[in-house]
Amino acid sequence: MRHVGAIAGRELRSLFVSPVAYAVLTLFAVLAGFFFLSGILQFQEYVLRLQAFQAMEQLQELNLNDHVVAPFLHVMSVVLLFLIPGITMGLFTAEKANGTQELLLTSPITIWELVLGKFLAAAAFVAILVVLLAVFPAILFLYGDPEIGKTAAGLLGLLLVGLVYAAIGSFASSVTQSQLVAFFLAFVLLLVLWMLGFLADLGAAGGAVSNDMVGDLLRWLSTAAHFESMVMGLVDTKDLAYFVVMAAGFLVLTKAAVESVRWR
Amino acid sequence: MIEARGLSKRYGDLVAVEDVTFSVQPGEIVGFLGPNGAGKTTTMRMLTGFLPPTDGAASIDGHDIFSDPLAARRAIGYLPESPPVYPEMSVEDYLAYVSKLKDVPRRSRREAVDRALERCGLADVRRRVIGALSKGYRQRVGLAQAIVHDPPVMILDEPTVGLDPIQIREIRTLIGDLASVRDGKARTVILSTHILPEVEAICRRVIIMSRGRKALDAPLEELRKTGSLEEVFARTTAREPAALEEAQA
Ligand SMILES: Nc1ncnc2c1ncn2[C@@H]1O[C@H](COP(=O)(O)OP(=O)(O)OP(=O)(O)O)[C@@H](O)[C@H]1O
Ligand SMILES: [Mg+2]
Repeated sequence: MRHVGAIAGRELRSLFVSPVAYAVLTLFAVLAGFFFLSGILQFQEYVLRLQAFQAMEQLQELNLNDHVVAPFLHVMSVVLLFLIPGITMGLFTAEKANGTQELLLTSPITIWELVLGKFLAAAAFVAILVVLLAVFPAILFLYGDPEIGKTAAGLLGLLLVGLVYAAIGSFASSVTQSQLVAFFLAFVLLLVLWMLGFLADLGAAGGAVSNDMVGDLLRWLSTAAHFESMVMGLVDTKDLAYFVVMAAGFLVLTKAAVESVRWR
Repeated sequence: MIEARGLSKRYGDLVAVEDVTFSVQPGEIVGFLGPNGAGKTTTMRMLTGFLPPTDGAASIDGHDIFSDPLAARRAIGYLPESPPVYPEMSVEDYLAYVSKLKDVPRRSRREAVDRALERCGLADVRRRVIGALSKGYRQRVGLAQAIVHDPPVMILDEPTVGLDPIQIREIRTLIGDLASVRDGKARTVILSTHILPEVEAICRRVIIMSRGRKALDAPLEELRKTGSLEEVFARTTAREPAALEEAQA
């Protein structure tokens, strides 16, 4: 496993000389700022309205975590749906385009080292995004008193969601020669994964999914429910296990896809 | 050093390489010749473990490419048909990266990179970004990448493509040096090329491929007795077998 660091390091550095990394960072920061600000403004307006109506009970229930941080993290998890494919699309496709695949596959490294190195680079980028994002809820601590634990659990949830997305993006990048295809494949896979819960509900309502087990499986597979409970502040080992299983599963698929290049 | 036993590669119905057997001893420099599409690149890719053979086996420096792939790959310096470089990296960063991939111990990495830069005439451009180099310089970076870990076996696919005449002469001298005995170890080079004078200048043995098969394997000296290398090449790779027999008669 000693080559993992070298591969990840090179990948990260080349990511940061490409315009893609900066485009993604900028877009992410701008969108985060926009959604955060509009979240705060809405919250204020809501507070003013409740005060005008003297709705004391509802005012008591209002809190920054549930009404600002949680919706903010939710919308940012949707933003990641299309930003992470931008980061991962070049992981393997660029090696194919450069012909450096031939260097990697004839070097004394294992395919696992290659796959983990690539994933680690994408994971580091996701971590940078989440750290960047953490600045916004941190501002809230200056003005109010959101719960640290709940906020941290939500951010951790977003990080885990991002890691699963990165594993799926790696897989998409490993099965095609084209960055564009890798991007859209990753995006579609992520979108489906994100919507599985709704699909299950729709199916149940329409009677298409008569089998409860199928519905439950779909709901379990969807990132939404697991992310949701973390945003609520619940760090359950079952949810953690879900993220680990999903990321590991797609990394196994990635490894198989990279390996299959040799057998074509 | 290099052992190929009955190597074959088929792409569907197309037979790219069929039943190629040869062995190369330490200290030998072998020229690998053949017309376009004869299967030179494919054979080299199988030897380096990039392509799995459909049939047959190979070993490098005593390590079987299937059962002991990492040791076999560690023993190889490989220059693919197109140099496997990252355009956004600087020459020295790239070579440092390759030296890590090839398991050069941390202590000797700097030295290894400096030596490869020096030998391939890259010292002046070491901080330049590879994407901004001319084709010939990129080719040299490819060569430097193949020798950075001082491997016992070098497999070079058209190493002098795109180089200017002076460069070609320098690289030929370099390849000659590469195979010479250093630290009591002899090295082996197999190189493919379309430039026949190059083979005459550096190789002592030639293998000629024709339509996926090994058509000839002989010391250069022996071939010289029967005519120029060009004649031999034309004769061995002639399209019709009849022409081959005619030439032999
Ligand atoms: N990926 C592939 N799929 C299908 N056929 C292939 C593939 N790669 C090579 N071939 C075929 O295999 C044969 C041998 O090709 P190869 O590249 O080994 O020739 P070569 O001797 O290196 O030629 P050149 O002198 O042009 O470099 C050719 O007929 C080629 O079309
Ligand atoms: Mg070739």
